[in-house]
Amino acid sequence: MYAESIDSIRFTVISPEAIKKISVAKLVVPDTYNEDGYPIDGGLIDQRLGVIDPGLRCKTCGGRAKSCMGHFGHIELIRPVVHPEFARLVFMIMQSTCDSCYRVLVSEKDIDVLKNGEEEQTASMSKLKSVKKCPHCGAKQKKIKFERPTFFYLEGERLKPDSIRDWVSKISNEDLAIIGIDGNEVRPEWAILSVLLVPPVNVRPSITLENGDRSEDDLTHKLVEIMRINHRLAQDIDAGAPQIIIDDLWELLQYHLTTYFNNETPGVPVARHRSTRPLKTLAHRLKGKEGRLRYNLSGKRVNFTARTVICGDPNLSINEVGVAQTIAERLTTPMHVTHWNIEKAKELIERREYPMAVNVITSEGLRKRVNESNRIELISSISPGWIVERQLMNNDFALFNRQPTLHKMSIMAHRIRVLPGKTMRISVNATTPYNADFDGDEMNLHIPQSIEAIAEARYMMKPTDVILTPRDGSPVMYIDEEGIVGAYFLTSSNTYFEKDEACSILADVGITELPEPEKDGRYSGKSIFSMLLPKGMNYEEGEGGAVVIKDGKLVEGFIRKQTIGSGKGLLLKKIYVDYGGEAVADFIYKLTRITYRVVYSKGFTIGVKDYLTNQNIEKESSKIVEETREKARKILESYKTGKMEVLPGYNRRETYEMLVHATTGSARGTGVKYIERTFGTDNMAFLIPTLGARGGIQNLVQGLMFLGQQSVRGNRITRGYSGRVIPYFKRNDKSPEAKGFIASSFMNGLEPKEFYLHAMGARDSTMGKALVTAVSGYLMRRLIHALQDLYVEDDMSVRNAAGDIIQPIYGSDGIDTIYETL
Amino acid sequence: MSEKKGEISYGEPVGVVTAQSIGERSTQMVLRTFHSAGITSQVVSAGLPRLIEILDARKKPKHPTMTITFDKGVASDYESVKEIKKKIEEVRVGSLVGSFEENLKAGTMVLNMDREAMTEHSMTVKKIMDIISARFPDVELSNEGEKISVRYKKKKDIKSVRTAFVNIRGEIVSGVEGIEKAVVNSEGNAFYISTSGSNLSGVLEVDGVKEENVYTNDVFGIFNVLGVEAARTAILNEMMQVFAIEDTKINVKHAMLIADAMTHGGTVKSIGRHGLAGDKESVFARAAYEETIKHFVNAAFFSETDRLRGVAENIIIGRQISVGTGRVKLMIKNKDLEKVKPAD
Repeated sequence: MYAESIDSIRFTVISPEAIKKISVAKLVVPDTYNEDGYPIDGGLIDQRLGVIDPGLRCKTCGGRAKSCMGHFGHIELIRPVVHPEFARLVFMIMQSTCDSCYRVLVSEKDIDVLKNGEEEQTASMSKLKSVKKCPHCGAKQKKIKFERPTFFYLEGERLKPDSIRDWVSKISNEDLAIIGIDGNEVRPEWAILSVLLVPPVNVRPSITLENGDRSEDDLTHKLVEIMRINHRLAQDIDAGAPQIIIDDLWELLQYHLTTYFNNETPGVPVARHRSTRPLKTLAHRLKGKEGRLRYNLSGKRVNFTARTVICGDPNLSINEVGVAQTIAERLTTPMHVTHWNIEKAKELIERREYPMAVNVITSEGLRKRVNESNRIELISSISPGWIVERQLMNNDFALFNRQPTLHKMSIMAHRIRVLPGKTMRISVNATTPYNADFDGDEMNLHIPQSIEAIAEARYMMKPTDVILTPRDGSPVMYIDEEGIVGAYFLTSSNTYFEKDEACSILADVGITELPEPEKDGRYSGKSIFSMLLPKGMNYEEGEGGAVVIKDGKLVEGFIRKQTIGSGKGLLLKKIYVDYGGEAVADFIYKLTRITYRVVYSKGFTIGVKDYLTNQNIEKESSKIVEETREKARKILESYKTGKMEVLPGYNRRETYEMLVHATTGSARGTGVKYIERTFGTDNMAFLIPTLGARGGIQNLVQGLMFLGQQSVRGNRITRGYSGRVIPYFKRNDKSPEAKGFIASSFMNGLEPKEFYLHAMGARDSTMGKALVTAVSGYLMRRLIHALQDLYVEDDMSVRNAAGDIIQPIYGSDGIDTIYETL
Repeated sequence: MSEKKGEISYGEPVGVVTAQSIGERSTQMVLRTFHSAGITSQVVSAGLPRLIEILDARKKPKHPTMTITFDKGVASDYESVKEIKKKIEEVRVGSLVGSFEENLKAGTMVLNMDREAMTEHSMTVKKIMDIISARFPDVELSNEGEKISVRYKKKKDIKSVRTAFVNIRGEIVSGVEGIEKAVVNSEGNAFYISTSGSNLSGVLEVDGVKEENVYTNDVFGIFNVLGVEAARTAILNEMMQVFAIEDTKINVKHAMLIADAMTHGGTVKSIGRHGLAGDKESVFARAAYEETIKHFVNAAFFSETDRLRGVAENIIIGRQISVGTGRVKLMIKNKDLEKVKPAD
């Protein structure tokens, strides 16, 4: 790694001498090409600055477009100009120095204190500006003023850049050191430009349009203008033009330089292209999301990647990824040739079809593509120390990623399985950490290219290595939906299988032994489940042992969401901690297959019938709705008569709204209770939310009973016309239904007015979601930037990049958060 | 599980882990500041806006609130709690005035005091007049029963007369400044006071209030009165409170790390460009975050050196980052290397 040798990078201001030293050409002609379309010597496309046209040779280094990296030129400005970005800093220096003796406005005594104190200190420039009398020569300090972007005034009189330069160049290095400037590195007069550095042409390439016209880069345009004004200024000065004209041109030169550096300088009109498009100048290239820093320097692009649509595959383990043949053929992984695998390497080079070697890298580091002409030669000359780049094969490791990459589980290492088809496939159980689904999602595949990277992927980045999230210690991959239903059927107390059923279930996941049969020769679901558990495992869950596993056998309770599902996944965590990641992958894979199989062999379906089992539901719904209305009516009455007790801290109207909202809002809860009371677990539509497999009982209430209170911005719906939401209602109707309480169910359909209110609530929540992603995205960027340098030192303290201790021991006990259960 | 196994690994980038844990949760939060409805009367700001408020280390929270509990003896006594509440709640002249007439040209104002409001706050006309005359030496006061006449002595323009009158009506006659409202609540049979508005130093001076029983959600207030250590705990508590209200679980260690990072410099620094991210030692790291030009220009003028120790700057120069597995190097002794040479 070449970059390893960089120890530090120092930033300084470039001096006029340094500019002239690195410059290969003094540019004098304010133009680009001549009539023949040939670059003008001394123009802005001078061939000494490098070439961009294929076929031409650089006049400095003799290289062609690709090999010449470009050379700087310079323009000599006829009058000095203030560098706009440094203007404020120059002003601060002037404020801190005497206007007659040019010493820093700190007395010798204070200088001594600053220099010889315990730590060397600098004087604050913002304090020196208020010094009225020079402590050295005793001169009374004149008023100096700065106006954006580059105007300086001394006692109301305009200071020209040359007098500014004269001022600051008289300040000694010793005095500069007192205000924190190292005069050996940076002299303040360098901030007043007399020579302008011109970037090489390949920094500002011109493009040839279809009609043969050339279109110059914005920077070139700006530089042409700078040179043009510079030229005119020189002519006018030579011709002895009046001072006013010269000053105007000087100011114009200042303007062009200001916009050349930053076309968004406050207080300066934006320089525009002929088409009125604002010019993109130097500052633009660096700034912001699409700028050099964030787009190109912090965001690296890489090779050895693939991206396609993903789909699910129930036959894959969570540690696997299915890769299309076409992808596997194109991507390569390095194989370091050793004494032990040299025969295999030769075999790969010899092959003419998948899997074969694509490139070889000799021990000298020369990369050669394997082809018909060199195949034989390569096989004979290959020796340990070479690297063979071969096509991807099963069991190689690849990093798999889905954007947005919100947490570390958004990039995980999967073992490759080359499979037919054109998509990339993952286990359905591995979708949660990526937040992926298969409605057209695409994902990225990266092939690690060094031994360290491969090892890191393999031993630290597999899904099973990161199955526990450091956020709260719960598993991010688990069994859900039909898996939960299946686990319930499988492990309920009254589930038994005949021998042939038990055999086929277990054989399906590769288990060839049977558990102990029951007395009647059948096999209990619990005992079949126990076959999946690690041998000798002990586990207890819930108070009083709702689920008990003893010596690797499930003896009590049925497997529920808490055990293997999202949120807690206690059993999964236990297996991970005690038996390791592979055991979890194995358990999840087998349990998923078995539960799916149980679900479809037993038959599991819901239909409208499941929702229509209760004849009294209509009556009960209208009873709850009527009760809600009655309660609201009573609150309204007490509000109107003034008997309502005002809640402390609120006024009457607010109290009324809160009470009514609480009442109408609780109606749905009453509905939930009714359904919980009257539906049984024999009803599949009720079983699903009860087990936590999918949805909530609220969905049943909204489907069968009533929708309940809709809300916008957390309140009952009040917006719309004066005193009413829609003209359907009477003005100032404060009743539940006028303010968003919907008494109809999805089953019975909504009234138009209800539909409208429902749509209002839905829009509010959709908008809320859209807004929250933008806000929280920025929050996350800020958090990452603030905390990314923190790491755990070998003494378990948390440190930042500078080595400061943030925490003496991580989290006060040094325990990794994944091992903690909340 | 052995104790060693649970230990955090060397080099673990705990900062990023924390940022991701908090950031990922914040995606699922609501954007509105909701008020906890019903029984408790407190306005609790919650959700994403509150989280951002804490992380930004805002000088004043949008909904500052204090909770003052009492020791067993006092807590069950409603009357004495109410007495203390009266001492805490800020009362302004204006809130004791039933109606008023002002003549700005003549520089006079008549305040008709509201007797009920006055007895409620145990105030007398005399007391109020004393307070006004102490604070506003430029006015002359006289009263006729519950009517207080105010006359502006100096001849001045209407604007300054008006400002003076508005200020008189806004003058605090009792209570702690900043406590806009105080309410006595109860939990079980223990009464406590919750307020909207916060002024920690002010409330601590009130008789009958014990330091250990006062809580405020104003992190800066705590910092100013009790120092960084307390501010660190406050940040931690307030963050956990946000997650508790949202009913999302998050390991305390993440909140602890953020609180420690924000306060390790001895003051409360925000997450963001004016705080932690803007104070980094690396020029590149700051430039890659926000205000790119400003950081480069200043770095150049003061000839700063980037020592390339952090993550962002190493990514920029294309070097392995200095946390996680990038921190460790694998080495082998030359004499061990001989052992792995092929046998033949």
